[in-house]
Formats: sequence, structure tokens, C-alpha cells
Amino acid sequence: MLTVRSNSLWFRLVLSAVIISTSVLLVAAFLLNAIFVHALQDNFDQKLRSDLDGILANVELSLNGKPVLQTQLADSRFSLPLSGWYWQISDSESNEVLVASPSLLESKIPSTSGATAPDKSGTSAYSAVDVGEKNLRVIYRVVDLFGSPKKFAIRISGNFDELNGEITSFQKTLFAVLTGLGITLLTALIFQVRFALQPLAEMRRQLNAVRGGQADRLGGNFPTEIQPLANELNLLVEANREVVDRARMQVGNLAHALKTPLSVIGNETRNSTSPLAKKLREQIVMMNNHITLYLDRARRAARAHTAGASTEVAPVVEALARTVQRIQHGRKIEFKIDIPTGLRFRGECQDLEEMLGNLLDNAGKWANKKSWVTAQIMPLDSKTARGWLELTVEDDGPGIPEDRRTDAVKRGQRLDETKMGSGLGMSIISETAAMYSGDLKLESSELGGLKARLKLPMVV
Amino acid sequence: MRILVVEDDKDLNHQLVEALAQKGYVVDKAFDGEEGHFLGDTEPYDAIVLDLGLPVLDGVSVLSKWRRAGRKTPVLILTARDRWSDKVAGFDAGADDYVTKPFHMEEILARLRALVRRAAGIASSELQCGPVALDTANAKVTVDGRNIKLTSLEFRLLSYLMHHPGKVVSRSELVAHLYDQDFDRDSNTVEVFVGRLRKKLGVDVLQTVRGMGYAMIVPSA
Repeated sequence: MLTVRSNSLWFRLVLSAVIISTSVLLVAAFLLNAIFVHALQDNFDQKLRSDLDGILANVELSLNGKPVLQTQLADSRFSLPLSGWYWQISDSESNEVLVASPSLLESKIPSTSGATAPDKSGTSAYSAVDVGEKNLRVIYRVVDLFGSPKKFAIRISGNFDELNGEITSFQKTLFAVLTGLGITLLTALIFQVRFALQPLAEMRRQLNAVRGGQADRLGGNFPTEIQPLANELNLLVEANREVVDRARMQVGNLAHALKTPLSVIGNETRNSTSPLAKKLREQIVMMNNHITLYLDRARRAARAHTAGASTEVAPVVEALARTVQRIQHGRKIEFKIDIPTGLRFRGECQDLEEMLGNLLDNAGKWANKKSWVTAQIMPLDSKTARGWLELTVEDDGPGIPEDRRTDAVKRGQRLDETKMGSGLGMSIISETAAMYSGDLKLESSELGGLKARLKLPMVV
Repeated sequence: MRILVVEDDKDLNHQLVEALAQKGYVVDKAFDGEEGHFLGDTEPYDAIVLDLGLPVLDGVSVLSKWRRAGRKTPVLILTARDRWSDKVAGFDAGADDYVTKPFHMEEILARLRALVRRAAGIASSELQCGPVALDTANAKVTVDGRNIKLTSLEFRLLSYLMHHPGKVVSRSELVAHLYDQDFDRDSNTVEVFVGRLRKKLGVDVLQTVRGMGYAMIVPSA
């Protein structure tokens, strides 16, 4: 059902949608991640600030002018060696560390680099890496301490790596959500594209039907974008049909026009026994067979276009029987016809006439006294739901031996050269029947002669 | 026997006329539907060969007009149209036979003979009147099995009379069927030919019915 070709509208639409939605989703992922990390960092900074405030509230100058923390901070991480949680107070000019958290051991908090601009309380923040390669977040403020002219730099840091778990789990969730969103979008898009392209598929189906002879033209009611295309196609189909009709008429005219000169040539040779005359007579027969053949093909090709034709069987059979009786004048052939009234053949009148005419003509030629023409309705085909009828033409003539019946249906085969005819009759019948998916079967009749069974589609 | 050939192809028309004349028929020809219709409507033909694809007026219309006017002349349709619908239309318009082109001249001749015979209500191709026998297929006349040589006019005269056995045929009717339309019709010449024919046959089958015409009558031996 879904065949993907790289040069298709479907492929183009889906590919462009995939590219656009993937890039949009990627940008969204980066933005969301950045916002999240930023918010997390803000929160972290906020905690560090309050710790810094805690230190400030606790600090005093000792007698030697050094700041001293009166009580240790409650957070035990500041006591854990190299935990990443540090604080230190240094001389803001000499950068000499005056007092620091036990966790710092002998190291220092890396000094300011790329810090944010100090806010109104003189506080700024920056990121750094400690000696243990931990990512630190540092809050930094320069303060005056009561009773000292110096300025002091207070730094406090937290281990930002502790938030990595949180960030990773957020990223995982983000990835899952966005992937889900992407898949949903894509599925919706595929359906949307198929829905939008549906009229094109419908147009293709209808064109196929026109080409196959099931429809005359494209139906209306296409979306406004492709309705003009449908109209143009209809015009094209019509123009094409006119060309074919004209060509077919020319073939017909040519064929009919050739028959008179052929008659003239044939008549000129009739009293001669010369090899030339003999050759001419042979060739005339061949030419006439070709003419019959191509006339027949041209007629059938033309009729392949006409959809929905239907023909009542009984009147055709009666007219043909009447005609055959008069062709076989001198010999009285009785045709017994039993055709249900209202029985209709799904096809062209001319095709039925040509098939039945040839069958009745054969029966008339070969019958001794009588011929039966009957029709039956065949049981409905449950698979295709198409109705079929079977016409039977039988006679009390000599019949055709079983082993020669297949030959009889072949093109140009004449089982008896003494009777008039081109030998094309039976093959024309079976070819025409085949065009309607029907067939011709030859059997023995209980009357003693040939029984021809012609299966054709019926109007149900 | 007079035959009308209505065929627009000049060569084919000529060939038909020649072949028919050779077989002892008197033949008139027409090249379009209108001319053909006029001749068939006014002259007493014994059979007509009619093409369907004719200029001015098509064959089926010509035939329908004749039949509507009550003309019963046997008509053989000779045409290139070989579809069954054409055949049905042709016979329904009143044709008596239908031959499609290309055809064999012998077939046309045989079918015309059959048409003329059937119109006269005769089944066999051999006409018999007492000891006189006329083979229409080979244009041969025998009396008691003895071959008689006749001129074409004598043959036509005998043939027409034998197609209507027992019927009194007037001189003017004989003239109408023995000569083509352009012939100067002097019915006195008929008398001369009847006389010669009687002599050649040598048997008394050709009776003169005074004031009315001639009749073939089987002599009551």
C-alpha cells in the first residue's frame, strides 16, 4: 500500500516535514535544557547566598585583625574535606586567605574569572573547578567588617556536580517527550499528506478506468487545485477518441473501397487459366481475408471505449434467423427460437449480431431441416457478482468431429472448402467473446449436428 | 430475360454487363441510385443487381422505394458491406439475395438464375416443356435429348416463354423482356423469331394465340 519513491510528492512533503520538525525540536530541546540549567543554577546560587549571609552574620574580627567565625556553619558538607562545599575569607587586596572552611584543607577557592556583574549588594557569581576537578559554583562578595579599614573578599562555593543527576534525568525526560512529540507529528503528517493527495490517487484510478473502457470521462468534484487538470484531461480524452474514431472510419472506408477493385481484378482473371491469373486469384483471397480481419479489429478497438452498452437478445436472434432463412433460400431451414424475453447482453448490439450471425449462418448452411437457438441464464458468479448468459445454437447437420473442433475456432481454418466463407467466422466469434471475457465451446448436439455454446456477460 | 445492373464502379458495372450478356441476358445498366431507381420503376426487369453504396440515392433506399411502389422484381444486393446489421437491413428492405464483394462472377450468375426461376415458381434449373428441355445453367436447349443450336435472341425468347409455361405472353411483353431499353421496338420482328424458333425445335409446343400472343403448351399427344 505505501510504496515510497524518492521522486514523489508524498516523499517530498514528508521529507521536508521531517527536516523542519526535527530541527525545530532540536532547537527546542537545547533551549529548554538551557533554561532548566539556568533555573537550577539560580536556585543553587540562592542557597549559597543565604549561606554567605549566614557567614557574614557569624564573622567577627579577632584581636589581630583577622576575621573569625564564631560558630561553624550547620551544613556538615563545609567540614568534609574537598567536598566542593567551601568558604573562605581573604584580604581583598593581597588575596591572602585569612580564614577558610575545614573542607578546603590547604587549597583555595579559585579566584574570580568571568563572574557576573555584582548586584546591588555587591555580590557576583561564577563557575570554577577545584583541585579535585569538581565543578564549583562560587558566590563572591567584597565586604567591610566592623572595626577594620580593610576590605575582605568572602567566597562561598557549592558542588554543582551534585545537580548533574537532576539535569541528566531532566534531559532524559525532555528527550523522551520531544521524541514522542516528533513521532506523533510525523504520523499525523503522513496521514495528512495521504488525505491531501487522495484526490490525485482518485484521479489516477478514474484515468485508468477511462483507459480500460469502463468509463467515458473523469467524474467531477475534484479539489479546486486539480479540477482544471481533470477538465483538461477530459478534453484530451475526447480529442483522442475523435482521432481514433476518424482513423477507424478511414480504415473502414479504405477496406470497403478496396473490395470493389478486388472484385474487378478477380473478374478479369475468371476466364483465364494462366499462372498469373491463378496467382492473382490466390492473392485476392488473401487480401480479402486481411481486409476482413482489420475491419473487424478496427470495429472492436472502437467498441472497447463504449461503456455500459446493453442489447436485448431476442430481437437480434429473430432478425438474424429471418435473414439467414432468406440467405439459405431454396432450402427450408426451420429455426426454433427459445429466448426469455427481456434477456439482455451486456455489450454492443453489433458484437452480438456478428457473433450470432456467424453461428446462425453456419447452422443454416449445415442443417438438414432444423436448428434450435436457445438461451439460458447461468447461476450468478458468487465471487465477481457478474451475471452470465449462455446462447446455444445447434443443428441437425453433420457436425464437426471432436478432434477437429479446436481447429474450427482457429483463424482462417476452413474445415470444408466446398462451402462459401472466409474461414474467419468462428475465430471472429471466439475473439469477440473473449473481449467480453466470455467464450465459445463446440459440442455435439442431440439433434445430431454441431452445438455451439456462447457464454456472454448478462445485464442482471 | 432482362437484367438491370446498378453499380457505380464503371469497371465492375462493365464486367457484370459483359458476363450477363454472354449468358444470353439483355442487360441495362445504371451508375447511380436515382437512375437505377427510375429504370427499375419503369422497365419490366426479370432481376436486378443492386449495389448499396451508390451516389445520389443509396441502395437500401432505392430498394425500399421499389417495394413500397409494389415492384416485385427479384433483387440481388451486391455490396462491400459485410456486417450482419447490413444484411438484416438489406433483406428487411426486400432484397432476395445478398452477395458480398469480392465475389465470384459464377456465383452471381448462379444466384441470378435461381432468382429468376424462383420468381417464376420453378424449382429446378432445368426447364421442361414436353420434349423441349432448357438448361438455364449452361444455356443449352435439347429436344428429345437432341442438342438444338439457337441464336441468343432465339434463346432468350424460348427461355422467357419457358419460364412462364402455359401462360399467354403478349408480343409487347416479349419485346419488353427481350430487348434493352434503347432498342427500336417493332413487335413484328418477334413474329419472325417465333417462326424460326418453331422450325428449329421441330415440335409443336409454341402456340400462337390469335390476337393475344404466344404460349408454351405441352402438346396433347
